[in-house]
Amino acid sequence: MNASLLQLEKVTIRFGGLTAVCELDLQIGAHELVGLIGPNGAGKTTAFNLITGVYQPTGGTIFFQGQPTANLKPHQLTRRGIARTFQNIRLFASMSVFDNVRAAVQLHRPHGIRDALWRGRGFRDGEKAVETQVMELLEIFKLGRFRAANARSLPYGEQRRLEIVRALATQPKLLLLDEPAAGMNPTEKLELTRLIRFIKDKFQIAVLLVEHDMQVVMGICERVAVLDYGVKIAEGTPAELRANPKVIEAYLGAEAR
Amino acid sequence: MNSGAKRWLLVAVAAAMAVSYFSAQFNRYYLGIAIDIGINIILAVSLNLINGHTGQFSLGHAGFMAVGGYTAAKFTLELQTISPPWAQPLLFLVALLLGGLLAAVAGLAVGVPTLRLRGDYLAIVTLGFGEIIRVFFQTTEAFGAATGLTGIPHWTTFAWAWSFAALTVFVVGCLVSSTYGRGFIAVHDDEVAAGAMGINPVRYKVTAFVIGAFFAGIAGGLYAHHKQFLSPGGFDFMKSIDIVVMVILGGMGRTAGVIVAAVLLTLLPEVLRGFADSRMIIYSLLIIVLMIARPQGLFTFGRKAAGKA
Repeated sequence: MNASLLQLEKVTIRFGGLTAVCELDLQIGAHELVGLIGPNGAGKTTAFNLITGVYQPTGGTIFFQGQPTANLKPHQLTRRGIARTFQNIRLFASMSVFDNVRAAVQLHRPHGIRDALWRGRGFRDGEKAVETQVMELLEIFKLGRFRAANARSLPYGEQRRLEIVRALATQPKLLLLDEPAAGMNPTEKLELTRLIRFIKDKFQIAVLLVEHDMQVVMGICERVAVLDYGVKIAEGTPAELRANPKVIEAYLGAEAR
Repeated sequence: MNSGAKRWLLVAVAAAMAVSYFSAQFNRYYLGIAIDIGINIILAVSLNLINGHTGQFSLGHAGFMAVGGYTAAKFTLELQTISPPWAQPLLFLVALLLGGLLAAVAGLAVGVPTLRLRGDYLAIVTLGFGEIIRVFFQTTEAFGAATGLTGIPHWTTFAWAWSFAALTVFVVGCLVSSTYGRGFIAVHDDEVAAGAMGINPVRYKVTAFVIGAFFAGIAGGLYAHHKQFLSPGGFDFMKSIDIVVMVILGGMGRTAGVIVAAVLLTLLPEVLRGFADSRMIIYSLLIIVLMIARPQGLFTFGRKAAGKA
């Protein structure tokens, strides 16, 4: 096995007659920041759903840390170290900011029903450790002051950030971000770019970024794959892609030249 | 609600026993209603774990109650003649727990295959299950068939009913307020997002179902030894609806509200007894009015405690 953290080999999924993703090959190294771009309906989010186990591929294999992920459910993949955010923010709406992260932190904590009912010393120490862990994360991302606020009451940009924090709370090795810049203004986008780079360095993880916004993708990704109609038409550094006529035709258009 | 929770449970049980000690001086009619209230609190709070906190829609609570009730009643009817009188509380306890366990097994049996369903579909399946249970008891000779079981000893005292009510509140409260319990609420809010956070939605739903069914079974056992008579008709679809109404009226996922609603909705038909024939009409109208006026539930004491455990 080589060093690649995630490896897709000829991954295909068909929905009836429609081939949403066709023989996709993709590799992500242990500490790499990779972008996945393409026009609307190119299969980017579908690729995400395949990697996270929401869909099972109809062909091909996905390896995570050298192990095939076939038949694993989303929660099992999260346990192994794949975390994600959603294109349309999916925070836990009835919970506070703190509890949103707390729900994710519990993944790597041993206690279950028995501790919750018996409430002995171990339980109390555990809950205290959870609280510390959650607050640490919230403080790193400057969300500490919102801890008691309802998650959906936050400003839009903060909700996006909270979703990322929540994903990080599962202690992933690979973080998948689904259009994190959607609906953000230029200042927020700039901040997001910094944030993603910061996450990658601070937590030493790999990031796969699906994004429409060229400024964001080209600005931070080390390598970018381009999808069009479910097929990967190009892959390379941002500079290489900018010069690739196929990519320009399918996606970038004249403005990027 | 940390170490204080256990102390709270002990105090509540002690209080129930103290009240029960003087119960001979109470009016029997009022005492009966007080026991009804305790049983309904168990039913409503346990259903709230399934319908409120975990966001599933079960209409089968009366079915689980029937499993527990018939099991416990049959158990005591068979064994009371051969067991010494001093063993009676023990016998009752075993009967209740046995009823709860069988109801929990029924919950597991229904839960595992059906909890992949959502919303309306789950409601229909649980409704069907409840009817199957009822028909089963209605046609099984050993359980008295259509005439039901009679001559069940009157063992349910105030202490029994309210101790188990306190235990139900304790268990549901402790589960939901712990970090582990965030999983129930996460599943309620967004199953897909919960899965992406490493929470196994099916596991949490089945857990909620089994625990809810267990306490419904206990409530059934208490009910059987309170009314001293069980008939399949008492566990029909309307009984499930009654419990669902308590949960909705109290505010889904709000234990305190659900308790108050259970108290009110047990008292209301009694208070309206004077209106004889029009009693059920007034009862229904009041529920409609309450639902229009307070769709979020009668007793929403602010948002769920945020931040702190």
